[in-house]
Amino acid sequence: MFDLIHEIAQTLRNNRLRTMLTGLAVAWGIFMLILLLGAARGVLNSFNDNVDHVNTIRFYGGRTSIPYRGYKDGRYIELRGSDMEAMMRETPGVKSVIAYASVDTAKIFTERDYTGGFNAVYPEVAEFNKIKMKYGRFVNNRDISEGRRVVVLHEKNARILFGDDSSAVGKVVRSLNLAWTVVGVYTHEWLDASYVPFSTYKALTGNRDYAYMLEATVDGMKTIDDGNAVENSLRGSLAKIHTFSPNDNSAVWTWNRFTSYLTNAAALGYLDMAVWIIGLFTLLSGIVGVSNIMFVSVRERTHEIGIRRAIGAKPRAILAQIISEGVAITAIFGYIGVFLGMAILQVINAVQGNSDGFKNPTVDINIAIKVTIVLIIAGAIAGLFPALKAIKVKPVEALRDE
Amino acid sequence: MIITLRDINKTYPGAVPLHVLKDINLDIETGELVAIMGASGSGKSTLLNILGILDNYDSGEYYLNDVLIKNLSENRAAELRNRMIGFVFQSFNLISYKNALENVALPLFYRGVSRKKRNIMAMEQLERMGLSDRVHHLPGELSGGQKQRVAIARALVTQPSIILADEPTGALDSRTSSEVMDVFRQLNADGMTVVIVTHDPVVGSATNRIIQIVDGQIGLPNV
Repeated sequence: MFDLIHEIAQTLRNNRLRTMLTGLAVAWGIFMLILLLGAARGVLNSFNDNVDHVNTIRFYGGRTSIPYRGYKDGRYIELRGSDMEAMMRETPGVKSVIAYASVDTAKIFTERDYTGGFNAVYPEVAEFNKIKMKYGRFVNNRDISEGRRVVVLHEKNARILFGDDSSAVGKVVRSLNLAWTVVGVYTHEWLDASYVPFSTYKALTGNRDYAYMLEATVDGMKTIDDGNAVENSLRGSLAKIHTFSPNDNSAVWTWNRFTSYLTNAAALGYLDMAVWIIGLFTLLSGIVGVSNIMFVSVRERTHEIGIRRAIGAKPRAILAQIISEGVAITAIFGYIGVFLGMAILQVINAVQGNSDGFKNPTVDINIAIKVTIVLIIAGAIAGLFPALKAIKVKPVEALRDE
Repeated sequence: MIITLRDINKTYPGAVPLHVLKDINLDIETGELVAIMGASGSGKSTLLNILGILDNYDSGEYYLNDVLIKNLSENRAAELRNRMIGFVFQSFNLISYKNALENVALPLFYRGVSRKKRNIMAMEQLERMGLSDRVHHLPGELSGGQKQRVAIARALVTQPSIILADEPTGALDSRTSSEVMDVFRQLNADGMTVVIVTHDPVVGSATNRIIQIVDGQIGLPNV
C-alpha cells in the first residue's frame, strides 16, 4: 500500500503541470458543489429556524360571500375570544386556542413620548414567537385571570418612552386614558408590538370580546389531509357560532401553518436534490477532465507501461496504479475544493449569516462524508477507462514506441 | 536445455500477410552465450519477442526451462517474465523519473518484495555493475554505458534463468560497447545464460555461438 502511494506520488510529481491543471477542474467542481450545498443549507436552516410551532392554524375574521340562513352575503364576521371554547371542545386534538386583538388606536404615552397601539394577547404568544425577555416578564396567566392592567414593551419602544430600556420595568404608561404598569421589556428580530393581557382589553371594551385572530394549536397532525380535516372542523365550529356557510371560504380567513409547512418542506427537499444534481453535473465536467488527462497520460506513458509490463507487471497492477492515480488526483484536489468552499461559506456566514431567509450557510460532517464518497467514486471512474486502455497495450508494442 | 523451439511459425496478418518466422528449430543450453544475428527485417526481433514471452507465435512449441510457453494469459506471462527472464534493451528503457536504485528495484516491486529487501537486492546488483556511486542518479544524469549497466542490473535483480538482450550496444560507442560486452561475458562466466540479438559482427564475435536468421529461417552457422 505504501509502495503504491509512493509510485503514485512519483508519477504525479513527475507531471506537475498536468496534475495541477487536472486538479484545478476537480477542485472547482467540488468548490461549486460545496458552495451550492452550503447556500441551500442556509435557506433550509433559516426555514427550519422559523418552523417551530408549525402545528398551528390561525383564523381571521372576514366577509361572507354566500347568503346563508336568511343572512345576505357581504356581512362582516367578527371573531370573538369566546369562540375559543367551542373550538377546543368540538375538534379532537386541539391543545389550545388563543385570541389576539390588535388595537392600533390605543397609543401608549409617557410624558416623554408616545408609541403605536398594543396587541391584546395570551401568555403562549411569547413562546410561539420566540420572544426573548430582556427585563422583567411576559404577560402571564394571573394577568389574564385577574385582568391586570400591565404592558410588555419592545426594547426599542421602551427607549422611546423612557429614554432607557433598563429602567422601564415597574414604571407606568398611559393608554386609553388609563394607567398601565410595565412588567417586561423584550427583544425580537422583527416583532416590536406592545402586549397587554387579552382579558384586560376585553373588560375595557364592555365585553365586546373582539378577536383580531384566533390561533389553534393542534396535536397529532401528520399529513396534509390531517391538517385540512382539522382546519375544516375548526372552521365548522366558527360557522355554527357566527352563522355562515361552512363552505364560505371568505367568511373566515385561515392560515394553516401545518399544511404550508409540509408543502414548503417538500419544496425544500426538491431544492436540496436540485443542488446535488447541479453540483454533481458541475463535478462531472471535472471528472471528464481528469479522465481526459488520464487518457493523454496513458498515451504518453505507453512506453513506460510497456517497460513495466516487460519486467513483469501484471495487468491488474497497471490497472490498480492508474485508477489509484485518478482517485489520488480527484481526492487531493477535491479536498482543496472542499476546504476553499468551506472557507468561503464561513466568510459568507460571518458577513450575512443571520439575515432573513439565509441562516448559517455551512456544510456539516454528513455532507463532507457524502462528498468524500462521491470523490472516491468519481476518481475511480475517471481512472477506469484510461486504465482499461492502458492494459490493452501489448508490452511489445509499447517497447517499439519510441 | 534452457530453450527449446520446435517448428515455430509466426505470421503478421495484414493485406499482405507477412510470414516472419518459418519453422524455427533452436536449442540453447544452460550457460551458453549466444548471438542471434541477421539483417533488418530478417525476423530476429520477432524471435527475441517470442523468446521473451512478449509476443505470441502461431504454431510450434516453445519450452523455456521445460515450461511450455503457449497461449498464456497476460497474468501468467507477466509472472514468467518477471521470474525467468531479464531484459536488456537497445534504448535502455529505464524509467526517466526514477533513480538508478528505483529502476533496478522495480521488477521486485511487481513480485511483491518489501521495499527494504528490494533496495538491498538492487544495491547488490548495482555494486556488481560498479555503480555504487551512481545509485541515486536519474537516468538522464548517467552516461550511455552507465545506463546500460543499470539496465543489466535490473535484468539481474530477479535472478532470472536467462538474459535476453536486444541490440544492447546499438546506442553505444565502440569503447563502451566492448565494456558492456565484457559485462555480458563476465555474467556468462558466472554461469548465466545470455542471448544477444544484434546485427553488429563485433558483438557477435564476442559470443560463443552465432545463430544466423535469414528471411525467417535459421541460416548455416558461419563461424
